[in-house]
Amino acid sequence: MSHIPQAVTWCLAAGLLVALALLVRQWWVARNRSRTLVGLRAAIRARDEEARRLATVQLPALAQAAVAHPAAGDPLLAGSEYERNLEAVIEQFRSAVARAEARADQNAKAALKGAMRALQGLANEQQVAISEMQERHDQPAVLHDLLEIDHANSQFGRRAQAIAVLCGSWPGRQRSASSLSDVVRGAKSRVRDYKRVEVRTQIDLAVVSRAVEPVVLAVAELLDNAARHSQPNTTVEVNLQPAHNGACIVIDDAGVGMDPREAQLAGQLLTGQRSVDVTRLGDPPQFGFAVIGVLAARYGFSVSVDTRSPYGGVRAVLFLPTALLTQLAPEPAAAPRAAAPLPRRGAAPAASPASPAPTATPEPSAPTAPYPPAAGYPPPAAPRTAGGLPKRRRREPLGAEQLAEAALATDPFATTTPATAGPADGTAETPAEWTRDAEATARRLGAFARGTRAGREAEPDTPPTGYGRHAARPDRTGPDRTALSHPALNHPAPGYPPPGRPAPDGPVSDGSSPDVPFAG
Amino acid sequence: MSGRRDRGLVRPYVVTNGRSEPTRNTFDLVTLVTAASGRPNTGLTPEQRRMVELCAHGSLSLAEVAAHLRLPVSVVKVLLGDLVDSGHLLTRAAVPRAQLPESQLLQEVLDGLRARL
Repeated sequence: MSHIPQAVTWCLAAGLLVALALLVRQWWVARNRSRTLVGLRAAIRARDEEARRLATVQLPALAQAAVAHPAAGDPLLAGSEYERNLEAVIEQFRSAVARAEARADQNAKAALKGAMRALQGLANEQQVAISEMQERHDQPAVLHDLLEIDHANSQFGRRAQAIAVLCGSWPGRQRSASSLSDVVRGAKSRVRDYKRVEVRTQIDLAVVSRAVEPVVLAVAELLDNAARHSQPNTTVEVNLQPAHNGACIVIDDAGVGMDPREAQLAGQLLTGQRSVDVTRLGDPPQFGFAVIGVLAARYGFSVSVDTRSPYGGVRAVLFLPTALLTQLAPEPAAAPRAAAPLPRRGAAPAASPASPAPTATPEPSAPTAPYPPAAGYPPPAAPRTAGGLPKRRRREPLGAEQLAEAALATDPFATTTPATAGPADGTAETPAEWTRDAEATARRLGAFARGTRAGREAEPDTPPTGYGRHAARPDRTGPDRTALSHPALNHPAPGYPPPGRPAPDGPVSDGSSPDVPFAG
Repeated sequence: MSGRRDRGLVRPYVVTNGRSEPTRNTFDLVTLVTAASGRPNTGLTPEQRRMVELCAHGSLSLAEVAAHLRLPVSVVKVLLGDLVDSGHLLTRAAVPRAQLPESQLLQEVLDGLRARL
């Protein structure tokens, strides 16, 4: 019977072994599981960390400055699917940010441009109004106030213009070609401390019309910078220098200068290479260099601010290439051209027969009808009398002396080129009504003088009146001043009515004036 | 300095350097301006130089000078005051309006003539 307990013992031992093996396996499995768990926990922590970094560091940095950090910092995730997805997220975010920024920039620029255009228009309107007021008011006190308003308005206009240019607008205001010194002084007109700006040199060069306004605006920004960054008691010196293939406007200030970082940033902005973001101009916005950069890139001049001025501040040099420069025509030559629309004597006969009013209609009022202003001198087709007969008129050509005088009074340039004022070619720039007016006046007063002379012979005690003291030049304002010494005095008077004003005293006949009682 | 100066480019306060009071108070629209010969033009602003050039060939009234310069008359007065002070320009008051004989005198002359003829 001893076999039975033995068998039981064996069974038990085998069971124990199996249990033991199971236990060991269980332990093994558990240990593996826990290891995996630890690894997985680490991986989850790494991903959490990465996601946190994405949310708190990378995306804000992207949103701020559009600069991407490296995607995964943890080597655990290198090359993983998770990392690739993260990178895709970052990429999409970056492009979304860029799109949004571009749209915002565009919208901001469009809105600013529209607003600044409106302001610019107002400033220009106001400037016209101020100019008219300056013409109208003569008192120094009023003028003083007007000058101040004008100054403020110019600065206001410049600010609006600068922002508009930065937003892609054109500088506006078409100007004619202007000399370099006028351009610089135009820029001087637009800065606050214009009295501190001294233009030292003058050269005989001009800026072509399309570049005048942009150059004025750029120089104004440079002057404003120079004046703002220097002491109020220092001057800002402007020199104009012709260069090999252009000209330079050199602006020196005695201010604080720029440190290398500022100078580098300024250099980048001034070349116009760095695109300008109107939403990142800073507070207060600094757009001076950015505006200059935009203008320089668009119009082809260049500006540098990287040298020191001899006074310790910044020397800004604006270089204008030859393409933007021109020569102004010398003034004496320019004046006759400018006066070309005035009627010439030679042109008058061709023009006046075409004008039917005074010649063709045989109305009684015809002789007194004023001539059309285009007919400088009496046309050969003479007015007719009421009966339809041609009216005779006597007329002496103007003497050289008279023409010269007339030319001097109306156009001082003409006398600098005496050839144009000669009587032979008859091209003196003389407004015709003026000459005739003086002649008519002289005729009447000459008649009057002859009358008084005759009267004085009867009464020798009558003192001479105040005629003829000064008559170097006939004057359109005072007919009585031109009286006795006018060269037309001794000529028989041509018998046509003064134009432009209806003769109050009826038609003037040849030689004798019915309104002057002492003719003859 | 161009003959066709662009209006509005150089503002009047730059032309006068901010001043509005002429140094003398004797100018009016018909004051006659003549250039004094023999003064160098150095040191003058473009507008002043142009005024001297304009008046170098005879007398011009202040109003005419202003029209040629395309500047307000009051601004030209300021410039003129400086130029008169520096001796570049001479001014002369306009010739006063001549005293016309009274109508009674004219009537007497007329009567005398009629009596004679």
